[in-house]
Parts: sequence; structure tokens; C-alpha cells
Amino acid sequence: MDKKLFEKSKKIEKITFIFDILAIMTYIALFLILFNLLELPPIVDGRMNLDILQFMTPTYEFLGNTLDKWQMNSIISIIIIFMVVNIPMLAVNMKKNRTKTIYEINSYTAASKFVQAVINLLSFNIVSAVLRTYNTFIIIKFVKGYNVKEFFKSIIPEIKDAIAKRKAKKAQIIEDNTDDYSSSLKKNIRRQTTIHTFRLLGTYLFLVLMALIIIIPFYWMVLTSLKDFTGATTNNPEFYIGISRWNWINYKVVLTELNFGLYIKNTVIVAIFSTAGTIVTTILAAYAFARIEFKGRELLFSILIMTMMIPGELYIITNFITVSKNGLGWVGMPTGQNQYFLAMIIPFVTSISYIFFLRQNFKQIPESLYKAARVDGCSDFKYLTRVMVPIASPTIFTITILNVFSSWNAYIWPRIITGVGGQEGQNYWLISNALRDTAFVQEGGKVMYNLQIAASALVTVPLLIVFFAFRKYIMNGIGRSGTKG
Amino acid sequence: MVNLIKNVKRFLIKIGNVIKNIFWNIRRILNNYKCRISNYLDKKHLNPAGKFPGWAKALLYLSPALVVLLIFTFWPIINSFALVVYENYNMSNNTITGYTLFGNFIRVLTDESFIVPASHTASSAVINTLIIVFISVPISIFLALAISVALNSIKPLKSFFQTIYFLPYVTNTIAIGLVFAYMFKTDGGLVNEFLNFFGIQTDGLSWVESNAVYWRSMFVLIFYSIWASLAFKIMVFLTSIQGIDKQYYQAAAIDATPKGRIFSKITVPLISPMIFYITVTSVIGAFKIYNAIVALFGVTGAPPGVSYNLQSIVMYIYQFIDGSNAGNLSVAAAGSLILFAIILVLTIVQMQVSKKRVHY
Repeated sequence: MDKKLFEKSKKIEKITFIFDILAIMTYIALFLILFNLLELPPIVDGRMNLDILQFMTPTYEFLGNTLDKWQMNSIISIIIIFMVVNIPMLAVNMKKNRTKTIYEINSYTAASKFVQAVINLLSFNIVSAVLRTYNTFIIIKFVKGYNVKEFFKSIIPEIKDAIAKRKAKKAQIIEDNTDDYSSSLKKNIRRQTTIHTFRLLGTYLFLVLMALIIIIPFYWMVLTSLKDFTGATTNNPEFYIGISRWNWINYKVVLTELNFGLYIKNTVIVAIFSTAGTIVTTILAAYAFARIEFKGRELLFSILIMTMMIPGELYIITNFITVSKNGLGWVGMPTGQNQYFLAMIIPFVTSISYIFFLRQNFKQIPESLYKAARVDGCSDFKYLTRVMVPIASPTIFTITILNVFSSWNAYIWPRIITGVGGQEGQNYWLISNALRDTAFVQEGGKVMYNLQIAASALVTVPLLIVFFAFRKYIMNGIGRSGTKG
Repeated sequence: MVNLIKNVKRFLIKIGNVIKNIFWNIRRILNNYKCRISNYLDKKHLNPAGKFPGWAKALLYLSPALVVLLIFTFWPIINSFALVVYENYNMSNNTITGYTLFGNFIRVLTDESFIVPASHTASSAVINTLIIVFISVPISIFLALAISVALNSIKPLKSFFQTIYFLPYVTNTIAIGLVFAYMFKTDGGLVNEFLNFFGIQTDGLSWVESNAVYWRSMFVLIFYSIWASLAFKIMVFLTSIQGIDKQYYQAAAIDATPKGRIFSKITVPLISPMIFYITVTSVIGAFKIYNAIVALFGVTGAPPGVSYNLQSIVMYIYQFIDGSNAGNLSVAAAGSLILFAIILVLTIVQMQVSKKRVHY
């Protein structure tokens, strides 16, 4: 094995990443510019006239070219497809390049590099494509010892060789078949294989059918969110539409006119603060329950566990009284004195189930480590931050993600809180209650289904992105904790 | 090119070193002061760190969580027991007309939309909830078992399928509920279109829109709740099936045991504790169904223009906060205590049974 070639291929891959990142930044910038250019319908009587949204045919000036609506849609769609393909590819490649050892390189690596080069070429990233192709040849040389020329020369002989081998094998099988006993045995084996194949086919068919039932709502959501009003309400809905008819303007209307930009900002604020609070309080409390000896520890802990059984509805009713004007006075006050964010964040800055989950994790860290640290003069707090937290960091990360998810999906509490105070409360809506309570209805009772579904997609897609990025943490965390929510 | 990168790297490392030096110097100076102060305190026998008892230290660590829990977990429990004895509690001006011991419970139990169906409808909150529990829980458990056994028996594409089946867990109930309502639309909905494709006439067949028949909108609700709850069950079942010792299956394979008997005599008994746990938790979850109903049918809990409604127990409770008869939170507290009693009984049953170990 030539270690130098391996190092060289790694280095070239690193240089390729720079161009990949540049390309992705270009896509993002282009997307933002084009998305900003999209023309919204005119405002009539303080409301946007959404009825004419699908009949507008504006033209756009971009880099000296005049683009009509359909061309604009196609360009944005293509850029988005590029981003969807290239960003995960870059992330996976970066991770692989860091962890890949010299023993994991084989001819499949070369093939996948070549496929990636083709994808780069298709997404107009020519420099990366050239570099990756060059890298492919280096890996081929590393694995097989061929040069570029020898590689092309070796293709035809190798195919011939493979065919010849196959023929030889077939001939051997026919020769073997002469015996009477062995032929009956073979028949038996073949029958069993057939049964096995059918069973496997049935299993896969069942799994694919179930997977379709799971996937179809997501597909239908994305598809509908890109249709125009007629397309979304017609009697014969289309199951596929061409990229020139993907109406990205729907998302812009939802973000600006229907205020979902504001609601997403509110939700992000609530999610960040409540998650930060949860992490700090749960780590401290879990540490106290796991390591510090004090009287009544088990009693206090079992009381906490028992409260997990009580349904959340009980808390919500009385907590609403607590935060309203007869209690802490965060909501229900005269306009201008309400603290909606406080009321939405503070009740959720700690969680008993996460304390329980983290305590189990802390308890698995050997006690001897703690004693050794104490002998070396390490204080409790230092031990917690320097030893415990780094060891338990995967669990803490899982808790972070799950908590962000639950604040993103919170519905009833924000709805009750922002339900008081009329218009002022409406400015503090979080996305879930905005989704349910925003009027997607135009004059004459027309429900703008495409906009409604576009808003749903806007809520769902970030969740899916986070899920795919940190799939391992989330699935492990839920598998181990066995608790929901 | 490589040289350039090396130079840039070197430069960045240098800058990093400078910053690190400054940081460490500050730390050194601070530490120095800390030592001096603690030495001084030691001399005067005033050092607090040595005199801290265990519980004080614990209190220090527990206090951030405990303060929040006291206000928003323990106080509400006490407060709700206080709330149920108030008569005609009025939220807006904080007044009551008197005290009653069971009055609010009786009001909930005899309310015409809680247990007994109202005169003009055929459904009540308890009936609806029980229907959802007794139909959706068994179906979803059988389906999840079948899927996880099938998943366990394949090798290629396993993690791909596992990821897909997990998707409903990470989605927003309201958002996907709106998509389901759109898919079950009367005109141009995906489901009606699908039925048409197989030759079933669906002219104006209404699922969730006006004049939908009770069982049709109930079907949509149950279908959605099964769809949303499958992910967690598959995940748990698959983990526990993978934890079964392979020797049982090898022994069965030597005896040429049929697949069906392997499933019923090995797989199911060995994961029965998990099945039981999932059954109880999903019954509790189904009792608390709320978001799915709101997503599909809105806050009223009924398709427009029908005489019944699909209220669940939780929805009945919440209508006292913001609904048709808002304000009387005592009744809501009584309702939630009844829900708590149901859940408590279920949990105790689970604990008793799982103590005996449901193996074999």
C-alpha cells in the first residue's frame, strides 16, 4: 500500500471542499437574491389581494436578462435541487474524510468519487468535478496500481475475463448435473429457495406499502405547497408538476403577508431560552441527585417521579391562573404591560423526565473517577463541568434536540397564553397556533389551501432537516429513554 | 495551493496561541487572588467551603430546578385541589359564591356532553375518547409488531425503512393534521381520488367537511392517530426484538419450526413486558388525545353543519379556558382530576402486573 497516494488523495479532497463550500454559498446567495426579487400581489385596503396571485405574470430583470414567471420558477427550483443534493453530500464527505482510514479504501470508493464528480458537473461546479475526477484516478492507482492510460486499456480485457469466468462456471454446473441423486437434491434446494424468495418479496412488499402510507402525506404536502390556487382545489389533482410551475411565491406570501416570519422568530426565541434554561437546571439537579449525598434524596426524587404521572391538563389550568393578573401578572394586564415571552418560557425551563434521564446517565460514570478528582483537589462544580458534562455530552445533546422539538411543536400552552389580549397577543403567536388560527380564508369563503399547506411545510421542513442531520442521536435517545415527549 | 493553505494554517494557529496566552494569564491572576482570599479566610477560620453540609450543597445545585418546579408543578397540584371546592369561580374578577365538596365533580359527571350524550347528538366526550382508545390502540400495536418483526427479518435497506417509519415522530401534529384534512377533502382530495381510481363512486363523499357522517370523520381521526403513534412503537419493539438472544431462533431453526410458531412462541412471549408497557402508555396517550382533533376539525371539534361532535375528555376540559363557556375553571379542574384518576388506575395496574413479570 502506498501511503503517499492516500495522503495525496485526502489533501485533494480537502481542497475540493473549499470549492464545494464556495459553490454552496453561491447557490444560497443566488436563491436569496431571486427569492427577494419575486413580486408580491398589490395591497388593496390594507390586505394583500391574494385572489390575483396566480394570474399575475410579472417579468424580472436579472443579470441583464429578462425572465418571465415560469423561467424564474424553474431557476429557483433548480437552485433548490442543487442545494438539496450538494449540502448533504458535502456534510457526509467531510465526516468521511476525517474518519476514513487507509484500510477502508477500495474500488467502491473510486466509483463513488466518480459519481460525485458527475453530480458536481451537473450542478455547474466544474472545479470540484475536475478535482474529484483526478482524485478518482489517484484512488484507482492506489487500489489497483494502474495509471490512467492503463486503466482505460484494462477495461475491455477485464470485461472479457469476467464473461469467460461465467461461462466456465455454467459449464461446470451442467457437468455436475449428471448424477441422479444430486439432481433431486438440487431440485429440493431450488424449491426451498423459491419459497424463501417469495416470503422475502412479501416482506418487502408489506414494508414498502407501509412506508408509502407514511411518506405520501409528506409528498402531498410539498407538492400542494408549490401548486397555485386552482391546482390545489381542482377536482382532478395532479400527482406531479413540472419545475416551471413550482410557485415559490407561495412561501413568500406565507412569510410576509401572513406573518409567519414573525411567528417563526417568536418560536425560535422561546425555543432557545427554554432549552438553555432546561439544560442548565437539569444538569445541576441531575448532578445533585446522582452524586451529592444528603438526607431525603431518594424521597425527594421519588416525589418528583410521581408527579410525572399527573396529566399536563391539570397543570395548564392552574398555571394559567398563576401567570394571569391574579397571580404573577404576566398576561391579562392592560395593553403594553404583558410579558408573553416570560409566560411561555419560564414554566418550561425545567423538566422532570430529563432530570431522570440525565441522572441515569450520570450514575453510570464510575464513582472512583469522582474520588480521584476530589483527591486531586477538584471542587464539585469543576468536576461537573470538566468530567461529567463531557462524558454525558451525547445525552445532553439528545435532550437539547428533543427540547427544541417540543418547543417547536408546543400548541396548547402558547395558544392559551396568546389567546388573551386580542391583537397584542396575536403578535406573540407561535407557529403551531398560528397554523391553526390564521385565517387562510379569502373573501367569499375561499380557503387558500395552497398557502395553508405551504405554511405547514414551512413548519415541518426544519424539523425534518434537523432530524436527518442528527438522526443517530434522536433515535438512540428515544430508544434508550423509552419515554415520549 | 497546498503551501498557501499551510501558511494560512500557521498564521491562524499563531493568532490562536496569542489569544490562549492572554486567556491563561487572566486565569492565573484570578487564581492567585482566589488563593490569597482563601488563605486569609482559613487563617481567620471563616472559610465557608469547609463548613458546608451536604444538604446545603445539594440545595445550591437543586435550587434553580426546584424554584421552577415549586411554582409550576407543586403549587398547581395544591391549587387545583383548592379550586375544585370553589362554587362558581369567576376567573376575570377572582370571586366565588361559596364552597362545595363534590359539586363540581357532580357537575362534570352529569354535564350533557361529558358522559351522557346531549339530547340532540349521539356522542359525548367520554364515548368519543373510549372509541378512540379501544380502536386505535389495538390496531396500532398489531401493526407496529408486524412491521418491527418484518423489519427485523431483512438486512438490506433496513436502516432506510427504519428512518422512514420514524418520520411521524418528529413532525408537528397540527401541520400534518392540516395535510390530512386536505387529503380527505371532498372535492379533489387525494383519498377520494384514490377511491375513484379503483372504481368506487365517491361523488361528494364527505370525510371531514360539512355533513360528514360520524363514523367517517371518526375513521379519519383514528387513522391519523394511528399514523402518528406508529413511529414510537416500532422503535421500542424493534429495540426489544433485537435484544432477544439469537440462540432461541437457532434452536427453532434446527427443529424446522414454522415462522408463525416462532413468532407466537418465541418473539411475543419474550418481548411481552415491552408490549404491556407500550399498551399502557399508549392507552394513557390516547386518553389525552387533543392536538389531532384540533388539527383535523378545529377548536369546535366537529365538522361544520353536523349535530354531533368529536370532543375528547381533554377538549372538554380546555373549553372552560377558551371556549363557549369560558371562565369556570373549577369545573375544568374537576374534569382534569377525573382524568388523573383514570390514568392513576392504569399506572397502578401496569406497576402491579410488571412486578409479576409477564414472561411466558
